[in-house]
Amino acid sequence: MLDQPIRKVVVVGGGTAGWMTAAAFSRLLVSPAVQVEVVESEAIGTVGVGEATIPTIRNFNEKLGLDEVEFIRQTQASFKLGIDFRDWGRVGHRYFHGFGDFGADHEQVQAHQLWRRLRALGDDSSLEDWSLPTAAAALNRFIPPSPDPRSPLHDYSYAYHFDAGLYAAFLRRYAEARGVVRTEGRIVDVALRGADGFVEAVVLDDGRRVEGDLFIDCSGFRALLIEGTLKAGFEDWSRWLPCDRALAVPCKLGGDGLTPYTRSTAREAGWQWRIPLQHRIGNGYVYSSAFVDDQRAADTLMSNLDGDALDDPRPLRFLAGRRKKFWDRNVVAVGLSGGFLEPLESTSISLIQNGVARLLEFFPDRRCDPLLADEFNRVSAQEYERIRDFIILHYCINQRDEPMWRQVREVELPDSLQAKIALYKARGHVAIHEGDGFARPSWISIYNGLGVVPETYDPLADRIPEAELRRLMDQRRAVIRHAAQSIPTQAAFIAQHCAAEPIG
Amino acid sequence: MQDTDRSLRKIVVVGGGTAGWMAAAALSQLVGGRFGAIEVVESDEIGTVGVGEATIPPLHLFHALLGIDENAFVRATQGAFKLGIEFRDWGRKGGRYFHPFGAYGAPMGLSPFHQTWLRARAEGVADDLDAYNLAASAAALNRFVRPPAGQAPPVFSTFGYAFHFDASLYAKFLRRFAEARGARRTEGKIVDVALRDEDGFVEAVTLEDGRRVEGDFFIDCSGFRGLLIEQALKTGYEDWSRWLPCDRALAVPSANAGPLTPYTRSTAEAAGWRWRIPLQHRTGNGHVYCSAHISDDEAASALLAGLDGEALADPRPLRFTPGRRRKAWNRNVLALGLASGFIEPLESTSIHLIQTAITRLFSYFPDRDFDPATVDEYNRLSAQEFEEARDFVILHYAVGERDDTELWRYCQAMSLPDSLRRKIDLYRGHGRIHVLPNELFKEHSWLAVLEGQGARPERLDPLASLIDGAALRGQLGAIQAAVRQTAQALPSHEAFIASHCRAEA
Repeated sequence: MLDQPIRKVVVVGGGTAGWMTAAAFSRLLVSPAVQVEVVESEAIGTVGVGEATIPTIRNFNEKLGLDEVEFIRQTQASFKLGIDFRDWGRVGHRYFHGFGDFGADHEQVQAHQLWRRLRALGDDSSLEDWSLPTAAAALNRFIPPSPDPRSPLHDYSYAYHFDAGLYAAFLRRYAEARGVVRTEGRIVDVALRGADGFVEAVVLDDGRRVEGDLFIDCSGFRALLIEGTLKAGFEDWSRWLPCDRALAVPCKLGGDGLTPYTRSTAREAGWQWRIPLQHRIGNGYVYSSAFVDDQRAADTLMSNLDGDALDDPRPLRFLAGRRKKFWDRNVVAVGLSGGFLEPLESTSISLIQNGVARLLEFFPDRRCDPLLADEFNRVSAQEYERIRDFIILHYCINQRDEPMWRQVREVELPDSLQAKIALYKARGHVAIHEGDGFARPSWISIYNGLGVVPETYDPLADRIPEAELRRLMDQRRAVIRHAAQSIPTQAAFIAQHCAAEPIG
Repeated sequence: MQDTDRSLRKIVVVGGGTAGWMAAAALSQLVGGRFGAIEVVESDEIGTVGVGEATIPPLHLFHALLGIDENAFVRATQGAFKLGIEFRDWGRKGGRYFHPFGAYGAPMGLSPFHQTWLRARAEGVADDLDAYNLAASAAALNRFVRPPAGQAPPVFSTFGYAFHFDASLYAKFLRRFAEARGARRTEGKIVDVALRDEDGFVEAVTLEDGRRVEGDFFIDCSGFRGLLIEQALKTGYEDWSRWLPCDRALAVPSANAGPLTPYTRSTAEAAGWRWRIPLQHRTGNGHVYCSAHISDDEAASALLAGLDGEALADPRPLRFTPGRRRKAWNRNVLALGLASGFIEPLESTSIHLIQTAITRLFSYFPDRDFDPATVDEYNRLSAQEFEEARDFVILHYAVGERDDTELWRYCQAMSLPDSLRRKIDLYRGHGRIHVLPNELFKEHSWLAVLEGQGARPERLDPLASLIDGAALRGQLGAIQAAVRQTAQALPSHEAFIASHCRAEA
């Protein structure tokens, strides 16, 4: 029976993925029988993009038992109610993807169907009027949701913006306090076992060998073990997602200030992010090198900052896609070594988190039965593909003139996405498939934001008398407006509850 | 109103029976009057199948949607309560296990309950699974209670229940409900189906006496025949008999004998299995079998020999082909119940599949344009649900050591759907149960049947081995004690019915 338990897990690479993995393992796995060692090199920078998150990050922090206020202070974090999309679809247009729905069902009819009927009756109100996080974000306001289900401030969620470097450092302290060992060193070689090609040890530049039973590859784009050593292979998605570079630069707080949302502004050959933290704003331009050169991209970024740049722009290169196998033999890829999807919907950290949770669900013994790896790989691949489709959706519907936008508009879509769009266009139904992480309101936000108005609506909506429908919708909108105005600004909320120490 | 009104003006339900009246009841309650008349065409000459008198817990959601009072429903249908299914001679002859409604025990740290239990069993310190499940423990004592509302003790959080009832009384009950809300019933046998020339949509059904019943939307509840969906529209059928070889059944009621058990019993036989479903006034029995391996007479003898009370009628025969209609919804015809597919009633999924189909219809309610993308999505979800139920039923045949007859030897050798193969392999290899959030049968159901059929993990979860041994034994002991004490304090099933929902004799 239980004759070959894992005795030693080696996490290759620090950074967000490495320390999230190590922190989770320190809480859930480390014991006298199981050691966890992180090998990282201070000489190698971490990517640290992806400072914006989605609400599931809170589950991860809760599982670790982190104190929220402490976490926010330590990472200069701010709150996020959603994403403000500017110039997506067409120049001059904006929409908001909030972490919340558009109201409860009424008489078995979904709220956005009620809205669609209102529209058929000649009311051209925006669907976003019925989104509380959208209303609060427009006023720069924030408060955590009320636990009282009767409160209008109950049905939404939130995530964070934070400094990924500080988050990694925070989790490192957490993990080390719980017995995780950190080894400084650059890996120069990987030793495989003759018998089965499992990784036996990594060799550091000073000649030390770090042996292990299970290796978690958190080495980022390089994918040192999973690709460099095991040649897992890569599935390229750049025909749908042509952006392959990014420039990242912090700047001083300015512009709209500490907004409780991420902003994503479409540009000629990609898009620019704006992620406000307590001490600075993180900015970046994600672009396709086939459509703009690096210098022009840098100029675009630097001339669209809300405050003085605090550094030179830092370049990143990548390719959209996923590893063909996330888990091969005794190596499991977590984070960028497993795949890359541009941070348009802030999914990088959730992919790490779900990878770690899934690994714990399918945790192997030393034989690393392929049965477990196969199921892990099947479910992981599906997760990546679902997110991929969601991100492609943002691009594929647009009326912009630039060549990149034409290309992404004309490219043949994955069947899975094509069918979803057709279903929504017809009557506003949202198809949710196995492995979909984004729920119905998120899909509706993007379709609606890009100007897709379903051709017709749920006929059940016609059962509701027109006057009753108008009264209901007016009342819901008024409640949301009033509730949004009743809460503090994010700046005031942070000042009162969780202000971080200023950093030099 | 939409730009031009394309609303349905008339909905025709073809066939009464359980599916027909469930649909009519829901339609009359939720859209009654709004989309024209709801007309049910049924013939007293055509019997209903009425198998599937056992249900699973989500039925209460259907009743909540309709605003049906549970005690009134139980009284009207001679109903009784069901805490799960007892399986006898499945897996191995002489074996017994229970598939309860409700989860086992509680997780510890990262490990789901069953991993902690598997470890404790390996160490020789675990009791049977049933000891950690309130529904199973109460069933073994013939006890029942509705979980207390509000501040129920935590042990009740894992407790679910369903019903046994007389399906023909249920159809009558729902017929009164539907007719009171405006549904119209037309007596008559359908002899012809008229299709519209331009698009092949069903235009009307013609009755024996020449009357035509026209409609915009037809719900085919005609049973196995699939009068509209198959005979008129030639939709096609996906045959699953390579995995589910039973193709006939005999059903017979018998007099009640002994205490009223709050569970269905399924006893495996040489060429199939027998059901036993106790109601207030009688017990429903049946024998589901594979005609390739046993004659109808032999099947009848086995059925009658197994009754525990006097037979109240002659056995009634049924024939079927397990599988599903390739499209549950085709053009303006939605197939419901047996017209949409058949999975043997081993896990009481028939009525549940009707119920979820009705709920799904309200999510994708049509107008006269019958948007193809919307219909496709309905069909995708419907197929997925049928396949999930199918896999779970096949599981009972696929795992086990019985090889004493041709049927069981066939089942041991058959190749399985990939989706099921994966689940079985993961459990046998590592005790892992991976179930998606929306799947009908949850982890505890898979555990009950996998273990009950005799699947044993080769290895234990390495993470469960990290739990402190004394803490593990302490927690398992505490769960077991809470379950035992709670079960012993419950009233008997009969006493509960007597004080809440006794039917007229």
